[in-house]
Amino acid sequence: MPPKGPDSPPEESKESNSSSFFTVPAPIKRLFDKFPLTTYPANEIPQRLRPHDNVNRLYVFTDASGARHGRPSFNPQCLKWQAYLKFVGIDFEITSSNNHASPTGSLPFLLPSLPTNASSPIPSHKLQKWAIEQVHCEEEQQLNLRFEVYASLLDNRIRSAWLYMLYLDSENFDVARRLYVNPTTSNSVVRAALSHQLQQAARDELLKTSRYIDAADLEGDAGGAFEALSTLLGEDEHFFGRPNPGLFDASVFAYTQLILDDTLGWKRNRLGQLLREHPNLVQHRERLLKFF
Amino acid sequence: MVLQLHVWGPAFSLPSIDAQCLAAIAYCSEVLPKDSWELIASSDPSVSPTGELPALQNGSVWVSRFRNIVDYLRQYSEGAWNLDQNLDDVQKADSVAFSSFIESRGQSLIDLSLYVTSQNYYTNTSPAYGSLLQWPNQWILPPKLHGAAKTRTEHLGLSSLDLQAMEDQRKREHSAAVASGQIPSNLIQQPRDTVSKLLGRTAQANQFRLEALTADFFEPLEAMLARSKTCLLPADDNNNPSSLDCVALGYLSLALVPELAFPWLRDAMRAKAPLLAAYTERMRSRCFGEAAVDTKHAFQPTVPAALPWRTPERISVAAVGTTLLGTLADNTPFLREVRQNRRLKQAVEADSAFSSVEKQVLSSYADSSNKDMLLSIATAVAGTAALVGYMVHVGLLSFSTGGIEEDEEFQEGVGVVQLDPGSAADFLGAF
Repeated sequence: MPPKGPDSPPEESKESNSSSFFTVPAPIKRLFDKFPLTTYPANEIPQRLRPHDNVNRLYVFTDASGARHGRPSFNPQCLKWQAYLKFVGIDFEITSSNNHASPTGSLPFLLPSLPTNASSPIPSHKLQKWAIEQVHCEEEQQLNLRFEVYASLLDNRIRSAWLYMLYLDSENFDVARRLYVNPTTSNSVVRAALSHQLQQAARDELLKTSRYIDAADLEGDAGGAFEALSTLLGEDEHFFGRPNPGLFDASVFAYTQLILDDTLGWKRNRLGQLLREHPNLVQHRERLLKFF
Repeated sequence: MVLQLHVWGPAFSLPSIDAQCLAAIAYCSEVLPKDSWELIASSDPSVSPTGELPALQNGSVWVSRFRNIVDYLRQYSEGAWNLDQNLDDVQKADSVAFSSFIESRGQSLIDLSLYVTSQNYYTNTSPAYGSLLQWPNQWILPPKLHGAAKTRTEHLGLSSLDLQAMEDQRKREHSAAVASGQIPSNLIQQPRDTVSKLLGRTAQANQFRLEALTADFFEPLEAMLARSKTCLLPADDNNNPSSLDCVALGYLSLALVPELAFPWLRDAMRAKAPLLAAYTERMRSRCFGEAAVDTKHAFQPTVPAALPWRTPERISVAAVGTTLLGTLADNTPFLREVRQNRRLKQAVEADSAFSSVEKQVLSSYADSSNKDMLLSIATAVAGTAALVGYMVHVGLLSFSTGGIEEDEEFQEGVGVVQLDPGSAADFLGAF
């Protein structure tokens, strides 16, 4: 707003006649009339957040260069949906984010490009429905009764072993620290607190189902799960003999990719050893990695 | 040597109140010769060094958890006691996947039905524990199990089945109204919610979630059973059950058999999966005997019973002391976390399967967590000391007794005006 010129004394005098109680003393009024001294133009939206036209944006855990090149996320849940959307052929870009940004409190979520007027975020549990509406792919759960049953292997046994390997194995925790803790802050006290919180959360999650954490048990269970998945895949290209990879392939890939990814810098990768005993799962991962 | 299987005791006319224990009992009754094992309703996880039930004791060897028991029996008998020996690779994969499926989904449904649904917990589950536990465990263990079941099912968003949680929520809202409106607490109208009104309001909302959950659980099993007819995964041509059927029996019988105040899980099972309900009844009479299991079978084995019950030992004074001390320590902040870390460490050291390097790594992890803990205690103490020191220094806190008393009197005077219900009524009456 441009500063007002000193052209209002007549009004002021009229007001002071009507009620002297509410008038501002003249010197103070003159002082405040000088404000604002200058008005700057509005800041531009930061470059990295500028909405590209008509692009779906998937918010995942990733780093800056990973976001630029669309590389696989380092969080299994995010990678699952990232891979699924790629497999069914939806165009999207990924953006680095964290749980605090999500409307549901957990990543991933997607901001669709269309319709532009009602761009409400889509949380992960509604992503499949959204993808089916977009490209009319199949809802794979309905096609095979084993889908949900074998998915429980990933959601329970392999996930528990993964939580143990990443967060509670003290040698590997450097990986988690580098991926989840260090990007958030450079303050070492906050980093220590965050690390502690992460580890405690993982421990609580594992202690929900058993009274104590038995690493050998978790790894044994994961080994059995990999064996069952390997048998289910058999000689096929993709799970359930489908011509194209789908949601189940994405769920498996989300873990196999990260377990076999040596660039993460695992110190002790027991799950990797167990997984390499099944060459068909390793090949399955390599086939799907070509999508990225 | 007679093998001894320690389990949670009988309830709801089933031989155990816990699904994993039921699965282990079913497996032992299928695979072991009649005289080679005994069933002990010790109902106290502390009898086993692993701290879990079911636990199989063979002399000095203890094995806990269903899958470990299955593995141990196979190794101990050199392959003779094994229900799964004739399965091919695909069936083995199915067995692993379906076990995982039943254990994860079934456990949440049983948690919801027996523990989270308040009516069932207070009228059925809690009394059942009361009759099978000894003093002092009957006061300590049920609340623990109740709490554990609630945390396990939190993510399902069905806490409205839990009247206690609803009541807490209402109280929180009430006190928030008091705080924000500065209204004297006795002037706010109490919303009088009866139990039936609470249920009536939330029943419909819950119904949809429960429908979806039960359908997700029962449909794949019903479809599987429709193909194989007699068992989920027949172990041989004679349609004998495999280990998967034992797991299924453990979870499904707890869903089907108990007579509960609010039997939504049983109703859903009968409506959605009639084959599965019939199969559960069939397996139950095959593994646990035709007659319903009564608590007295477990504690007075002179009564003839289908299962080889053996009376549990009387609880000793030392055991009572240990339990009480353990509970006290678990409820003390800081000590609880120290004990949690130690639980990991002990488990690791006891497990001979670990290589020495792994053991060392894990123990050092547990040690370092303990150090973290001590560090945080020290930080808290130092912080408090610094604050108190500062306050003394600035003069906010003085140690001359007279001043403090004066302050307290003044505050009490204010408190009476705000909180005394009589004065509020007088105040209104003055108008």
